[in-house]
Parts: sequence; structure tokens; C-alpha cells
Amino acid sequence: MSVNPATTRLGDFWTEFRRSPSGVVGLVLLVLFAAVAVLGPALSPYPEAGTSWRSIEYWQDEPANAPPAWTNLFAREKGAVSARLAAADSAAEEGEGYRVERASFAYDFSYDRPPLDLILHFRVDEPAPVSVAIERPDGRRVELVNSTVEPVSGEARISLDKEAGAAVLDFVRGIEPPEALERLDGSSLEPTAILFAEAEPGLTTAPRALKGKYRITLETIVVDGAEPASEPVPPRLAVVGRVSGLLGTDAQKRDLFSGAVAGVRYALLIGFLTALVSVAVGVVYGALSAYAGGLVDAAMQRFFEIMSSMPLLPFMIVLSAIFKPSIVTMIVLMVLFFWTGSVKTVRSMALQIKEETYIEAAKALGAGGPRILFRHIVPILVPYSFASMALAVPGAIVYEATVSLLGLGDASIVTWGQILHDALSGGAVLNGVWWWVVPPGLLIALMGMTFAFLGFAMDKILHPKLRTR
Amino acid sequence: MDNDIILRVENLKKHFQPHLTFSQSITGAKKRKVVKAVDGVTFDIRKGEIFGLIGESGSGKTTTGKLVMKLIDPTEGTMTFQGEDVTHLEKEALKAYRRKVQMIFQDPYASMNPRFKIRDVLEEPLVIHKIHGDRNEREKALIKALTEVKMNPPEEFLGRWPHMLSGGQRQRIATARTLLLNPAMLVADEPVSMIDLSTRAEILHMMKDVQRDLGLTYLYITHDLSTARYFTDRIAVMYLGRIVEMGPADMIIDDPKHPYTKALIDAVPEPMSGKVGVIKELPISGEIPSPANIPSGCRFHTRCPYAVPACSELPEPELEDCGGGHLHACRRWKEI
Repeated sequence: MSVNPATTRLGDFWTEFRRSPSGVVGLVLLVLFAAVAVLGPALSPYPEAGTSWRSIEYWQDEPANAPPAWTNLFAREKGAVSARLAAADSAAEEGEGYRVERASFAYDFSYDRPPLDLILHFRVDEPAPVSVAIERPDGRRVELVNSTVEPVSGEARISLDKEAGAAVLDFVRGIEPPEALERLDGSSLEPTAILFAEAEPGLTTAPRALKGKYRITLETIVVDGAEPASEPVPPRLAVVGRVSGLLGTDAQKRDLFSGAVAGVRYALLIGFLTALVSVAVGVVYGALSAYAGGLVDAAMQRFFEIMSSMPLLPFMIVLSAIFKPSIVTMIVLMVLFFWTGSVKTVRSMALQIKEETYIEAAKALGAGGPRILFRHIVPILVPYSFASMALAVPGAIVYEATVSLLGLGDASIVTWGQILHDALSGGAVLNGVWWWVVPPGLLIALMGMTFAFLGFAMDKILHPKLRTR
Repeated sequence: MDNDIILRVENLKKHFQPHLTFSQSITGAKKRKVVKAVDGVTFDIRKGEIFGLIGESGSGKTTTGKLVMKLIDPTEGTMTFQGEDVTHLEKEALKAYRRKVQMIFQDPYASMNPRFKIRDVLEEPLVIHKIHGDRNEREKALIKALTEVKMNPPEEFLGRWPHMLSGGQRQRIATARTLLLNPAMLVADEPVSMIDLSTRAEILHMMKDVQRDLGLTYLYITHDLSTARYFTDRIAVMYLGRIVEMGPADMIIDDPKHPYTKALIDAVPEPMSGKVGVIKELPISGEIPSPANIPSGCRFHTRCPYAVPACSELPEPELEDCGGGHLHACRRWKEI
């Protein structure tokens, strides 16, 4: 018999909640979003997307404005997909006073359009002679680079698109007829387009893709006795494809899927924090106003009316323009305006609760105002607060997105609104870069819908029970 | 004798000012009718006695109880508790007063927060007054109070919720809650009117035992003459904010002087064979007048079967003694 009514109440709530299909959809979506927020970096190919969104270096190995990889399914000519390869095998050859370190990469090219670039990353501590060669499926071997590299903080980066121009021109000379060579403009030559094409006349004008296994070999000469200054990093090869990732890349070469995943966290953070604080403030304010009554109540209600009639967006825009926009000031500002949402309902509920005999009984026992307010009145308002919190979340997310869209967002993080802003200023709509615009827009709508569904379902269940018992 | 008096109430009044309507506040009309809920009551309660306050709904008995409990402030008059003036009290003094005077409410279903377990309900006075900081000590106090009100076994009830208990059990818990503060006086506002008839006697019995054990004083507010006679030592009958008759319980019930008291006593149904079929014809008729519009002269004259023109023309009769501490406020008591 001794069943805790709190648990049965929760049980009842769940039974009723399950009956609301939209509520269940909202709950499933929320769980999904929460999972993405928690797993975040593990899901995306660029784990530091959230903090390095504006780092040019972090995204330098991606193509710009590349469509999502799955668009290949619908394309007549398949484009090479961006990839990052580790060395297939590596070896070291000891010489007299020096050492040759060799690493080779295997790249299986099975597309119609070649990658835009091949970029090699490897560790060297001092300027060192380096050579790069490629072996093609037709048995030809091309020496691409033979020079000395200057390492930047222990790491060297060789972009074949930039470094292999001369070698590729030599390669072309052996194949194209002289009259074609005359017309050839060496600077407009795309090295990768040549390297991944059949070795036949017309190579430079109408290359045909040579599919098959390619082998890229990297050789570095290291002088003995030079202490390695940094941790040994295995060399790697970045294939800068024509298409990339689940959601493509933007004009700043950023992987949009990583950005969207990183945005989930910030959307939830902004939404939850704003809703939690503003509803908590609103509930206490409304309850206090009702409990105090008289002049205090009248004054608090007038203040509430002034606050609730002020438009938030102009304030946010002006303040974001004056101060350095940050997520914290944005949340504070939203709380300052959002708390009014629940005040009227809470006040009317508290007015009713205030007249209950148990409040009078508590008074007769000697309970003071704070105790009656926080032990007797506010706990009864808690279920209602949950519903209004859920309804306040989408508002906060959309406001943040709006302000970010206007270019006044926090520059140290990435939110969906900021991605949209970059898309607009980057001309995504004019250039047909739909993968830059549609996903963040849909995500904002989906996140809003999640909480709206949850809020409506909870509101429907909790409303008939507003009368305290 | 004076040392024996625990509470002295003199000429206590509580007048409520109704809010102005919108049109009234604009036109500045001053036709506000003051509601005189309590209109000058005077009584003494002696230490260790059970003092009954009886009347219909609207007679001001509950308002008087709230005034004594200091849940509302009086408009006029004085209250003296244990020799100290308690008419108006500041925060700390009020808290101290509430340790000595406690209240049991009419509705045992509403007087406990439904979200509090019995343990929380009982601990509340201890937390408020910062008594028994130690956990074991507090536990002991709770068990003792529950034993006092005959909730057996006490440990079993601590973890329950109010909605799991019957009205009688709740009223016992409410009593235990007040006892934890060790009060000198209890205001009981119709404590058994919402309880099943079968358990009423039990609760009253328990309350009487507690009173005897702890030497408490009760102000027992009721509209029920039959329990009043059983329970109280002295009775005051209230009508429209004033006491019309006061004296030892037996005298009031057996030999009422005021026509209103007589009518109340006649109205008590008797479940005896031969009488059940007869619905009694009451000597008084009509409803109690509005306290915002009190009749002139003797305020009972509109319903009094013995009223003569003098009753409404002469000023209001004061309480007068007819011997043995029996006071009444009827001019024509000898004639009727």
C-alpha cells in the first residue's frame, strides 16, 4: 500500500505522455540530439571543429565548396572523394652519416574526375632534402618533387598541386605532340589532372581518367645525430577530393558535417541554459509577486509589463554590436527578456495556492515568508515550469541563430546560425552551394520542433492538474 | 483568580474593508460598507480550561479564532496572553507567541501540504523554531508526539503521505504537529466537523486526554452544541460578531437565557425513536443578516420571536450577569 505518490505520479505522467505521438517523436529526437552532443567529436571526422572552426590551418587539406560525397551516387562523372591515407609501408635505409626514410602510400583511384590535390605531411626537424615520386597503374613512374623542405614546427607539408608543376610538364612533353605543347600554358596545368589520366595525346586538353592503384613514395634524408625535436609523427597523405564528407565543405574548406555536429552542443547549451535560468527566475518572481500581494505585487506586475513589452531582437543586435559578442552575454541577455514568459501563469497559480489551508497552517506554525514561498508554493509550480522550459528552448535557439545570422555571434564557437551567416556572405545561395544552407537551417527547425513537441505534450498533461492536487 | 487567566480578550473588533469596484474608484464614491466580522467581543480563558465558542456560520467565531491565533490583526481592542499585551506583535515576538499558542484547523484534508510526508509535516514546526537539531532527538520527539495522539505504531506513519490517511488520522497528526511545540494553548477550529461521525468521539477523547496530560488550554470553536457540551467547560455563544451569552457549559445548555441560544439548542436533532420522523419547527427563521449591514439595536431582533419595538429602538444590550458566572445580552430574558 505504501506507494510513493511521487513515483506513481511519474508513472501516470509517463502513461499519458506515451499517448501523445508528437511527444514521443520529440522525446526520440531529444535523445538523438543528446547522444550527438555527448558523442560529438567521436562522430565527426574533425573532432576539434567546435573550437577550430575559424582556424585556416585546421581545414587546409579540404577542398572548397565541395558537394557531399554521396552526390557521386547521382552524378554521371564520379568525383574523387576526399580521404586521408596513412603510409602503407615505411622503411629506413642507413647510409654513412645519414639515413633515408622512405614511406609509400597506396591510393586506389576509381573515379572519373581526379582529386584536386595530394598533400603530404611528414615530420622533419631541420631543412632536409626530400623527393616524391608517383607510380601509375600503367607502370610509369614520375619523379614529382626533388627539393629541400623547410619544416614548420617540426612538420613539413608538400602540396603536389603547387610543387609538382615542373615535373608534370616534363611528363607531358614525352606524350603530347609538339603542336599541342606549343599551345600549352604551363601555369594553367593541373598536375593531378595529368597524373591521373591516360598517357596519350590529348592528355592536357581532354584527359581520360586512368583508374587503378597508384603508389606515392616519399623519401627524406635525415642527417645522423640530429636529435628528434618532436614526437615521431607517421607521415600521411591527404587526398583533396572533388566531393567530401557527409555534408560537403564550405568556401573556407570547412567540413560542414563536423560543424553541424559541433553546433548541436551549442544549440542545446544555449537553449537549456536560457530556458532553465529564465523559467526559474520567472517562477520565483511570479510566486513572490503573488505571495507579497498589495503594493509590492502591483509594482512587480508593472515592472513585468514593461519588461515583457520590450522587443528582444533590437536590444540583442545593438548590444552585440557594442560589446564583444560572446555566448555568455547572449544567454544573459536572453534570460533578461525571457523570464517574463511564465510570470503571469505562475502568479495566478500562486494566488490560488496562497489561499490553501496548509499555507495558513504553516503560518500558524510560525513559518516565515521565504519558507512558505520556497517550501510550500514553488515546489507545486515545478511541473508547470518543466513544460514552460521546454517551450522556451526553441525561442532561445532561434534568437541566437538570428543574431548569428546577422553576423553578431560569438566568434569563438560554431553555431548553426553562424554557418548560415557564412553561407549567405559567402554567396552560397547564388552559387548553388545548397549543402551549406539547407542542413543548418533544417537542424534549427528540427531542434525547435523537438522542444515544441515535448513542451506541448507536457503542457497538455500537466495543465488539468494545475490546481495543486 | 486573575493569575489563572491565560488569555484575556477585550472589546476585540475586526472590520474588513471591501475593495472598491472600478466605477467606485473613478467616481470617488464613499459608499464602502465595512464588514464587521467581529464587533466587540470580550472574554477570559482560564488556564487549563476548555472554552467553547459557538455560533452559526457567519457569526464571526472563526475570525475570532484567527485573531487569537494572530493570523489577522484586530481593528480595535486588546488581547492579553499570560499577562502580556499581544494585540500587536513584531516578527520575533510573534514567532515566540506561536510557540505558545497553536491551532488545529477544520479541514484535515487541506491543512497539510500534499507533497509533504508525515515526517516532513511533523518536522516543520521543529525546523521553523530550530528545536532539536540532533537527528535522533528529533526522531524521538516525533515518536513521542505520535504516541501522545495515539497513532500506533508511530514509526509506521512517518514515511506515509497525507493522502494515505483517514480524516481522523490526519487530525491526530495535525494535533501531534502542534504538540511538538509544547504550546500552552490550542485553538481548535471545528476540529471534528469534517470527520466521520463514528470517529468524532474518539478524536475528542484523544484531545481531552492530551489536554489533561499536558495541562493545555483549549479555545474550541464549533457550531455543534452536542460536542460542545461533552467537551467544554465554558461556552460563549456568538451571533453576528458579538457574544450574546456566556457561562459554564451545563448552565448554557440546560438553562439558556438568550432566545438565540434557545433556538440553537432546539435545533439539535435527536436520533431517538418516535422523534426521527419529525422535522423540528425552529422558533427562529431566516438567514443570519449580512455583517456589512448589522440591524440597529439588539442585532438579533430581526429573527427573534420575542422581539418588541424597544429591542430595535434602544441601544444594543450589554452582557449582564444572572448569577454563577452566567452572562447574557437579552433585555427581556425575564419575560421569555
